[in-house]
Amino acid sequence: MTLIQFALRDISRNEFRSWTVSLAAFMVAGLVLATTLLMQGTGDSLRLTLGRLGADILVVPQGSEERVETALLMGSPTDAWMAETTVDAVRAVPGVAAASPQMYLASLDGASCCSVSSMFIVAFDPATDFTVQPWLEEELGGPLALGEAVGGAFVSEPEEGLRIYGYPLALAANLEPTGGNLDQSMFLTFETAREVARVSVTEAVAPLEVPDGAVSSVLVRIAEGADANTVAGAILAGVPGVGVVMSPEMFESFRQQITTVRDGIALVVGLTVLLSLLLIGIVFSMATHERRREIGVWRALGATQRHVVGSLVAQAVVLAAAGGAAGALFSALGVYLFHDYIVERIGVPFLFPSTPRLALYVLVGLLAAVLVATAGALLPAIRVTRQDPASAMRE
Amino acid sequence: MTTDARQKTRTPAIILDEVRKVYGTGVAETSVVAVDGVSLRIDAGEFVVISGRSGSGKTTLLNLMAGMAAPTSGAVALDGQDLWSLTDAGRARLRNERVGFVFQFPSLMPSLTALENVMLPVAFGSRRPDAGFAERATELLRTVGIEAKASAYPRQLSAGQQQRVVLARSLINSPRIILADEPTSNLDERTEAEMMELFRGIHHATGVTIVMVTHVSALRSNGTRSMEMADGRLQVDERVGAPGA
Ligand SMILES: Nc1ncnc2c1ncn2[C@@H]1O[C@H](COP(=O)(O)OP(=O)(O)OP(=O)(O)O)[C@@H](O)[C@H]1O
Ligand SMILES: [Mg+2]
Repeated sequence: MTLIQFALRDISRNEFRSWTVSLAAFMVAGLVLATTLLMQGTGDSLRLTLGRLGADILVVPQGSEERVETALLMGSPTDAWMAETTVDAVRAVPGVAAASPQMYLASLDGASCCSVSSMFIVAFDPATDFTVQPWLEEELGGPLALGEAVGGAFVSEPEEGLRIYGYPLALAANLEPTGGNLDQSMFLTFETAREVARVSVTEAVAPLEVPDGAVSSVLVRIAEGADANTVAGAILAGVPGVGVVMSPEMFESFRQQITTVRDGIALVVGLTVLLSLLLIGIVFSMATHERRREIGVWRALGATQRHVVGSLVAQAVVLAAAGGAAGALFSALGVYLFHDYIVERIGVPFLFPSTPRLALYVLVGLLAAVLVATAGALLPAIRVTRQDPASAMRE
Repeated sequence: MTTDARQKTRTPAIILDEVRKVYGTGVAETSVVAVDGVSLRIDAGEFVVISGRSGSGKTTLLNLMAGMAAPTSGAVALDGQDLWSLTDAGRARLRNERVGFVFQFPSLMPSLTALENVMLPVAFGSRRPDAGFAERATELLRTVGIEAKASAYPRQLSAGQQQRVVLARSLINSPRIILADEPTSNLDERTEAEMMELFRGIHHATGVTIVMVTHVSALRSNGTRSMEMADGRLQVDERVGAPGA
């Protein structure tokens, strides 16, 4: 038997110590993992959504900036319309390399494919589009045909077929998940959207209204070398009734939301770590004090200070690893199961990581728990070895 | 061979030189002189029994011999090594390799079996514990007469059986010196006699140096040399009628 084995055998002797240390580790690992999952997940989601949008400037009806941003990030349908002539006006602004309109529509409640009550539908113009089209080329090798749609990650074709407003849609492909309701949105062409509207008059309970000669937004790509700020200013000055959102500032309010949430969580995590340190420190002080005589015996048998500290810390590490693993598991499961609820509560979508990434984050949580336990156990352990073995043995 | 001649040829196991141990330094009224200027040489192979009343400084003296406590003044050499020129780890290693301890109080690890308790000191050593040690531990349990209890936990053993395990544990690393602190203070007379017989047997078989302290003066006859301790000083120092001499 090695010293570590002897030490581990001894762990279960002090149940109170075992429970408090594991519980503290459970909290630390769980909270650290949950925080990592949330922060990384929201960041990933924002980056992904922004990348997919693929525009330098988003031109929207004046005053609807935030609503459109929310729609694009959260996949919650919105009403925002401006004249179709805006597209040409924007395109004419110096520094604009490409401009393409989009229409934001909503499905009727209870779409047959999805769990969302009302699905967000993005209609794009294949003739001018520069954000969806390249992806289609890559994925499908060509444009979308009439009646075809690209769905978010979680859109699937039900057995009875995918229908919106009574119009049958063919699902051509699915996008990568972004972690929000956007995963249940749908992309289709202007032509298909108009067809849906036409058919809906006779086939649906309520018709889909696609206002004539109106668009919801214009996506702008600026010319190489042009300054986004200058171009945005020029659009605001030259095109009446519009607002602009620039890519770097896109989802700014969401970022602030994340920061607020993060600061709140950081405080909780910090306090938990501090309290855990204190708790583990006190419990280990008590436990090592109780065992002073035994530690004296160990020293008499030839244990060095390092042996004593090592085995005490090893016990803390094992307890923390066990509690931490349980905490991480609990936390990962919780975040996974309550994903939608959390998205709703914090108002920002977040992506659950891939398995290897999750494993990495779990390790981070475990490491945090183990470090806290080590730090908590180290001080009392060192203190008890500081006194000479003979006094340790005297009670 | 005369006693003097023997002392010259034999190697010293323990040398104390004017060793003092004062507890509670500072205020004079509260400080206790537990060991008061003891000079002593114990040769390899001796079986020394030191008797003295409770509080006379016996445990302190043993602790000083093993480097478990630092002397307030004076020097201690164990098996030729000046203890306080070593590092703390060096003293620990010396204890591990050359000293076996038997304590005044129950000292087995409750979570380990008798056999595992016997092997515990191996874990503190520099050699990797291997199967050989398990065999040796079993053999030692046989030597002290409780190999049948090898897989019993301390709480399943009587006080006498526990002390036998402790004795076996003190022998696992083949020490040069055994320091025994009232090894029979918790035992009845018959068990005490059996333990003493074990000590004598081990001394006879291995030639290990034994220093035993006790408050029972009658136990002095078990050794080859006996001393008396009072108020931190060694008073009587005499050879016990050497068996066979
Ligand atoms: N760590 C300590 N701090 C203060 N005083 C101590 C300490 N250790 C021992 N003493 C005192 O030193 C004196 C000698 O103690 P020691 O334990 O060596 O005696 P002993 O002969 O072993 O007694 P006993 O037979 O009761 O075990 C006693 O007066 C004791 O109170
Ligand atoms: Mg004593």
